[in-house]
Amino acid sequence: MIDDIQRIRDEARNKLSSVDDLTELDRLRVQYLGKKGVVTAALKQLKDLTPEQRKEIGAVVNETRDDLESRFEMKRLDIKRSDLEKELSRTEPLDVTLPGQYAVPAGSQHPVHRVIDEMVGILRKVGFSIATGPEIETEYYNFEALNTPESHPARDVQDTFYVQSPILLRSHTSPVQVRTMKAIDPPVQIISFGRVYRADYDHTHTPMFHQMEGLLVDEDVSLADLKGVMHYLIRELFGKRAIRFRPSFFPFTEPSAEVDMQWNDGWLEIGGCGMVHPNVLEAAGYNPDRYMGFAFGMGIERIAMLKYGIDDLRSLFENDYRMLEQF
Amino acid sequence: MLLSLNWLKDYLSKQDIKINAKDLAEKLTMRGLAVERISSGTRGLDNVVVGTIEKIEKHPNADRLQVTQVRVSNEPHAEVLQIVCGAKNIAEGDIVPVALVGAVLPGDLKIKKSKIRGVESSGMLCSGRELEISEDSDGILKLPKHSTIGQPLARLLGSDDVLLEFDLTANRGDCLSVLGLAREICPVLKTRLRDPKPPRFKNSNHRTSAIVKVEVEDKDVCPRYVARVIDTLKVTESPDWIKQRLKTVGIRPINNIVDITNFVMLEYGQPLHAFDLRRIESGGIKIGRCDKTMEFELLNGERVLLEPGDILIKDGDRPIALAGIMGGANTQIENDSTSILLESACFDATQIRKTAKRLNLHTDSSKRFERGIDIEGVNRASERAAALLRDSFEANVYHPPTDTNPEPAKPRSFAVDMRDIRRITGLYNLSPEKATDLLDSIGIPTHKRSTNIFIVKPPSFRNDLEKSIDIVEEVARLIGYDTIPERYPFSTAPFDTYHDPIYEFERRARTLLAQLGLRETIQYSFTSEATLIKYGAHSDSLIKLQNPISEEFKVMRPSLLPSLLETYLYNKNRRSEGQRLFEVARAYEKDESNSETNAKETLWAAGLLSGNTLQESWRKNGEKIDFYYGKGLVDILVRQLSTVYLAYENSRDSKLLHPHRSASLKLGLNTVGYVGEVHPYIREQVLETHDSVVLFELNLDALRKYERKGVHFKTPSRFPAVDIDIAIVCDKSLTSQALIEAIKSDGSDLLESARVFDIYEGENIPMGKRASRSTFPSFPRIVLWKNMRLRNCVTRLSKDLKASTPRNSAPSLNLHTTQRFQRAAP
Repeated sequence: MIDDIQRIRDEARNKLSSVDDLTELDRLRVQYLGKKGVVTAALKQLKDLTPEQRKEIGAVVNETRDDLESRFEMKRLDIKRSDLEKELSRTEPLDVTLPGQYAVPAGSQHPVHRVIDEMVGILRKVGFSIATGPEIETEYYNFEALNTPESHPARDVQDTFYVQSPILLRSHTSPVQVRTMKAIDPPVQIISFGRVYRADYDHTHTPMFHQMEGLLVDEDVSLADLKGVMHYLIRELFGKRAIRFRPSFFPFTEPSAEVDMQWNDGWLEIGGCGMVHPNVLEAAGYNPDRYMGFAFGMGIERIAMLKYGIDDLRSLFENDYRMLEQF
Repeated sequence: MLLSLNWLKDYLSKQDIKINAKDLAEKLTMRGLAVERISSGTRGLDNVVVGTIEKIEKHPNADRLQVTQVRVSNEPHAEVLQIVCGAKNIAEGDIVPVALVGAVLPGDLKIKKSKIRGVESSGMLCSGRELEISEDSDGILKLPKHSTIGQPLARLLGSDDVLLEFDLTANRGDCLSVLGLAREICPVLKTRLRDPKPPRFKNSNHRTSAIVKVEVEDKDVCPRYVARVIDTLKVTESPDWIKQRLKTVGIRPINNIVDITNFVMLEYGQPLHAFDLRRIESGGIKIGRCDKTMEFELLNGERVLLEPGDILIKDGDRPIALAGIMGGANTQIENDSTSILLESACFDATQIRKTAKRLNLHTDSSKRFERGIDIEGVNRASERAAALLRDSFEANVYHPPTDTNPEPAKPRSFAVDMRDIRRITGLYNLSPEKATDLLDSIGIPTHKRSTNIFIVKPPSFRNDLEKSIDIVEEVARLIGYDTIPERYPFSTAPFDTYHDPIYEFERRARTLLAQLGLRETIQYSFTSEATLIKYGAHSDSLIKLQNPISEEFKVMRPSLLPSLLETYLYNKNRRSEGQRLFEVARAYEKDESNSETNAKETLWAAGLLSGNTLQESWRKNGEKIDFYYGKGLVDILVRQLSTVYLAYENSRDSKLLHPHRSASLKLGLNTVGYVGEVHPYIREQVLETHDSVVLFELNLDALRKYERKGVHFKTPSRFPAVDIDIAIVCDKSLTSQALIEAIKSDGSDLLESARVFDIYEGENIPMGKRASRSTFPSFPRIVLWKNMRLRNCVTRLSKDLKASTPRNSAPSLNLHTTQRFQRAAP
């Protein structure tokens, strides 16, 4: 009997392989698995067998039935799929080159803020905290406390916007350094950034621009540390490249330096820096014999222009949609 | 400051030294004396070379032009240039000056490759006048036959000088002179300074003091004044060598007296002035501050208004010079002058700068006084000028001169600790010998006091050296910043000691708005009063600038919205449609409670939406943006940034927004923002658009107090929610917020949310009423609630809010539940 069942199975499998429509499949199914089907009949015969035979042969019959059932089901899905494919092949594909549709259009952040965010990330990573301060400032914080006495050329009224002396618009972010040093004891390690104002307007100057400054005051800080930080910052911003320090002059730092970075075949000025002038530390209430520090400052717009290839500074504040859309 | 290298060599001990200008410029730049440009000493002769005309042909298309083939190199296979020329005086074989492509001739004539009447021309043959080396303009300049082809014309003319143009820092006034620069350059070129020998004078029969009395009224404004009478003079041309020196650095020679004062100023950095002695009438001069406002005519013919405080040289009560800036017309040298009073003095830097700035009168003289001059060198410069006049023109020099302060106080000497130099520079192995040698090389004397301490005696010409830190800088710059190692700092500052988290909050707002499809702008913080009036944002609490660069940038903006609208207009005029803009920035207003600056700065997020809800596309364009679209955006912003609930109220406080289609955002009693459609008047009259424009602004400083920090997780119910729809007819004036609140107040803890999902007005609804349907998804236990509470809720609604359920709907409500969930109910 086992032979019979195996023969039935092989025969069914054989027939199944050549079926390619659902009607025929159904007919075959009834023939084998229907109430009066061959396999069902075999199952019915089991009751006439001895218990041992029933156990042995029963297992084979059940196995055959399960096997055939799953083969029929698979065949059914196969036929369905190929019918659908035939139907799909008669329809047209989409024009996939038409513009895509999504409810929310793309937005973007301003290049100046992109640079600020990037620089904050770089400097936060190495321990700088963020300090903030007002944009409408006083002469004391903007100049006097920064070793810029009235006789200094930087005090020129024509360079600084005044609300009414001694109230002015900060001409750099350095007043924040003074305010911070007055508020907390050393050591301090901060960056400050934001809008600054100078009375100048041509293709390389706008009356408002953005600066990023850093300050680190501690007991053992040297020009060597300043070089390390500047090189790190420039490398992170612009990739690996040489930098050089050029002696310069700022009233609030001494020694002072301009930092140049390698750009194409030459050097490009990228920021100013130096060791915090003892008079500045003193004005902030720090003991200049014990504490030393460095400070650096950079113009954000210049960095944005270099990074993104923008050639007119003024275009950064025109907010032309065609420009904004590129970021 | 322009330095001629040939002039420089006069002061070097090795005068025949070969100088590589590029190398020198590089080294000086790295020592803090930035060289901005290197140029040929004969201006306009760069890229002009000696060439020979090999061939001349007629121009095919122009009778008056000729086409020449010019060789400009001695190399056998070098390219021959084709140059079109209009001059008639040329012949084959002539040696002529050729301006190559890239040359810039005097008068800013740029030579480019071009086509002249269809024939290519790569350069220009030049006349003497075009090169400004002779007045002769009759055709091309002919050069000597033996000239080397290809060499620069400047070298052929013997004017192979090179100019370095310095961009000096404000502290280095001493380098505004050839001698001052020579002092810095000597150690670079490894040579020594050859200081000119002081001239000798015989005592004259008359002293200056016998002819002119000098009185300094205020020693603070004029610490030293040297006056010297020189007579038997004749005003004439200067010697060629002086004229040449002046011309090289761009100063036009005038006459011997003016030229010599200019020459000595450039040489020593000490400005001089010569008065015509005949015209000093009172027999004396006084130096002091101006005491009243008055008019004064300068020697350049300009009339200026003097103000109290300006430093003047006076003849009696009559001003004859604006000290340190420019002399007066009333005593200037004339062609028939024969005797002069030569002034060499030291004036107060701060006052000179103030006056020069006020009058916008920046002269070579004021520039030097502003940065401070060498008080010890005052007489030396006077002697040098006197000697030049005596030796070249046999003038009679009165000696000794009148000197109000012959022995000025020496600058204070101070101690410098080597350990400071080491720890500040990071050069821990620097020896004291090395440091003092470097200082000595530029004329700063020192002497040793102990192993680590030395005393510095700053020379009088370096008035920027006042304390130890100045010496640290000198040593650092002289040894070279490039020798300082790079180290990575290890700060002991505790992390975030003084950290203001506003940045993170601001950045979240910016990021969110960008994610929501808006473009970030940055607008100027200042605007014009006219703009504010235009947008109804003018008020009494505006902060105005005293010295704006223009009316356009005069007022600190009290709101970000006017500038956003201006940007909208700017882009609309460039045909940008559907703009979505935002800015996160501060706005400013007067605040008397801030005693320091009387100002308050508030951080706002503001935005503008225009056009349609969907971008214009090939499929569908969405609807016009309206109040609700803007509100939806503000809702997301507020929810993401804060944990606070903001109530929307109709608002008429803004002249910028539509009176009925806008809302103010309330945090308790405070208004912390606005959202709404722009006022139709502004849309039609100012923006001139049919476009729909929605504005919003949100006070981030206020919102920040309720900053959403992190996430507070609430385990979701295991059961799917059940939605219940209720249809309600209510008065039109009843806000949906009031309706929802009423439902919520009765909703028990099972109610998750309730919202209005549809509104109907029109047929079957009485006038002035509208129907709204609310839905509230909740726990399956809603079934219990249904029985007990929902009826109560509806009753309450009808009682408190005078709302009713519509006649034609099911008795009271529309409830959706499914069997499956009832089974799960407790």
